[in-house]
Amino acid sequence: MDLENRKRELVKEFSPLLLKTSKVSKIWMIGLVAIILVGLYAFILQFVKGHIVTGMRDNVVWGVYIINFIFFVCLSYSGAFIGGILHFFKTPWKNSVARIVEIITVLSLIIGPIFILLCIGRLDRLHYLFMYPRIQSPITWDIIAIMTDLIGCFIYLYLTFIPDFAILRDNSTDMPKWRQKTYKFLALNYQDTVAQRESLHKLTRTMSTLIIALAIVAYSVLAWIFSLTLQPGWNSSIFAPYFIIAGLYSGAAVIIIAMYLIRKYFKLEHYIRKVHFIGTGVVLLIMSMLYGYFTFSEYFSRWFSHKIHDINLLDTLFTRYFWEFVLANYIGILVPMAILFFKKLRTIKTITIAAVIAVLGLWLNRYLIVVPTLETPYLPIQDTREEFIHYSATWVEWSLSFAGVAAFILFFMLLMKLVPIIPMSGIIDHEREQNGKPKKRKI
Amino acid sequence: MNTKLFKYSVIAILIGLFTNTNCIAQDNEAKDFKMLYKFNTTKLADNSRLLQVSFIAQHKKDRKNKVPVYEAEINFYNTSNEEDILLGTVKTDKEGFARLTLPADQTYLTDVEGYINFKAEFKKTKAIKRYKKSIAVKDLILDLNLEEIDSIKTVMVKAYILDSLNTKLPVEEADAIFSVRGMINNMPIETATIEDGEYEFEFQTNIPGDVNGIIDVFVSIEDHDDFGNVIQQKSVNWGISKEQFKEDSNTLWSEAAPIWMYIVLTILLGGVWIKYIYVIKNLFKIRSIGKELEIKQESETEK
Repeated sequence: MDLENRKRELVKEFSPLLLKTSKVSKIWMIGLVAIILVGLYAFILQFVKGHIVTGMRDNVVWGVYIINFIFFVCLSYSGAFIGGILHFFKTPWKNSVARIVEIITVLSLIIGPIFILLCIGRLDRLHYLFMYPRIQSPITWDIIAIMTDLIGCFIYLYLTFIPDFAILRDNSTDMPKWRQKTYKFLALNYQDTVAQRESLHKLTRTMSTLIIALAIVAYSVLAWIFSLTLQPGWNSSIFAPYFIIAGLYSGAAVIIIAMYLIRKYFKLEHYIRKVHFIGTGVVLLIMSMLYGYFTFSEYFSRWFSHKIHDINLLDTLFTRYFWEFVLANYIGILVPMAILFFKKLRTIKTITIAAVIAVLGLWLNRYLIVVPTLETPYLPIQDTREEFIHYSATWVEWSLSFAGVAAFILFFMLLMKLVPIIPMSGIIDHEREQNGKPKKRKI
Repeated sequence: MNTKLFKYSVIAILIGLFTNTNCIAQDNEAKDFKMLYKFNTTKLADNSRLLQVSFIAQHKKDRKNKVPVYEAEINFYNTSNEEDILLGTVKTDKEGFARLTLPADQTYLTDVEGYINFKAEFKKTKAIKRYKKSIAVKDLILDLNLEEIDSIKTVMVKAYILDSLNTKLPVEEADAIFSVRGMINNMPIETATIEDGEYEFEFQTNIPGDVNGIIDVFVSIEDHDDFGNVIQQKSVNWGISKEQFKEDSNTLWSEAAPIWMYIVLTILLGGVWIKYIYVIKNLFKIRSIGKELEIKQESETEK
């Protein structure tokens, strides 16, 4: 089939996804906007009244905000990592997953840092961070890492979008004018010539390696924010690799959930098939094993060394946070592992259930890393009021957390309206490779 | 039925999620508290005298729960058999303390044995009953001398009281603590018993002073049955450290970071940004190739 016709056919196939918004999607969008608005009200309340409206106090100065921050940023880094690996090793089934991964990467890297801003008591002094940075501080390293990584991810995402923008530009005569103009502007005169294609492939490959390296550095820096302090439960030499593995675990799980939802609601069974779920499920299985191993090593060494403050922390984890500990570190690891380990159990639904359990378990694990440690400081807590000793998130914190998740889903849906979730250029490249006769256009 | 059950379960879960479990009202009525009312006096180094009342409410069941009694009016008196002379009225602060400092030249009524009697009284209110405490102290004089005798830095103290004829009567026995001023607290250097009104010891030569080597030396008698608290202080140039602390440069804790940190950060960031610039430059190249092709195609169409 002629290449131009095939492109036209693909645009025709995917254009309903871009142009039409189903009733279900509209309801989703309205719901998400409502959640974001509630979050906005909560933010104004927090900005005006200060952190007193949250559960954070003198000792527990970090709560669900920082947990969401770690969760989203780790998700982004793992997205970058997985995306980079998929592209670099030219994984055969990458086409159906790659764009989902790339969008997750960029969106979570935008949403995540917003949560760290919510942790700051005096937002009006935010610019001091840039005016008087301390190079010795891991917080400064993290700011630099996040900003550098965000720009890198944007460039990488854009590189992967260019061929699709070009296809859409050339076949968007039926589309609204603003779309045609946008695609023309974003396609950068890309004509899919050999020189352009090779150059773009080379650039994407270069960026994919850089993104992997950046993700490792940024992950480690995020872990160092905790592990370079002397706090019990944080001061650990394996925290950086532990965070990398945990991030990849959550990343693989979120990709599976996203694939399931996109496949179901956008009827993309033809492109997102069982093989993709099994492939990502195997990655999730390997990650769950590694993550379980790191978690065990971490707690085992703390228990065995029997340092007073570590034991106090473990006592807290096994009493006050007993069920959270069981959910995070037993159910959150062993159940996905059990589901994914047996071939017979690997169906699309069970793999998705395993992914959901993994995500919830991981979020709880983050909670257990942050809150119990802050509740068991080296110096005894002076203020004996319950709210100063034990942290409990308020509705303001929950609504802002849900607003973050809602914003993530909403932006995802909006981006899906700009470019097809399955890269059309990837399909063409794949078919070109299958035919074995690359149709070259010479300048 | 099931739908209703599901609906109410979801509502219950949501309410549970949004509820702060720490919001439990505390019962803080005065009858649940026992009052801790303490009164003491300290003769300070400048011979002024501090009268201090500590007024704290302690919960009868939860004894760790202590609440300072704030803004309670305390009347301080110098009492004798004939009359009570009001020395002053002070309200307790946020920590529950009421402090009155009497000047060095204040005159006091004494009893026949030479004791000065003080009384601190809190008059009853609707919530709290009347409290009063009295103490009796003799006016002890501590003479602290810091002298170098035969090249030995010697600390000498004389403790005595004056009788009605201003005759010095040495103290028979009193425990004293010698200390030097520290950054947070005084650092004890000698604990001794003053016998027959005198005590002396050799001062340690390895104690750092301030920028000029000045050390503040204190002698104090605490909670004595006859004298209460008495403090005396003198300064002397016996400190060894005369140089100011110089801040290290290029360390983890100094203003400037270690040099290697700047180098590593520059290399890392430089490497990454060079790559970004390279990619962006090549994107422009891709764009110009497309532009050329477009022009070529247009000219071919025109032909």
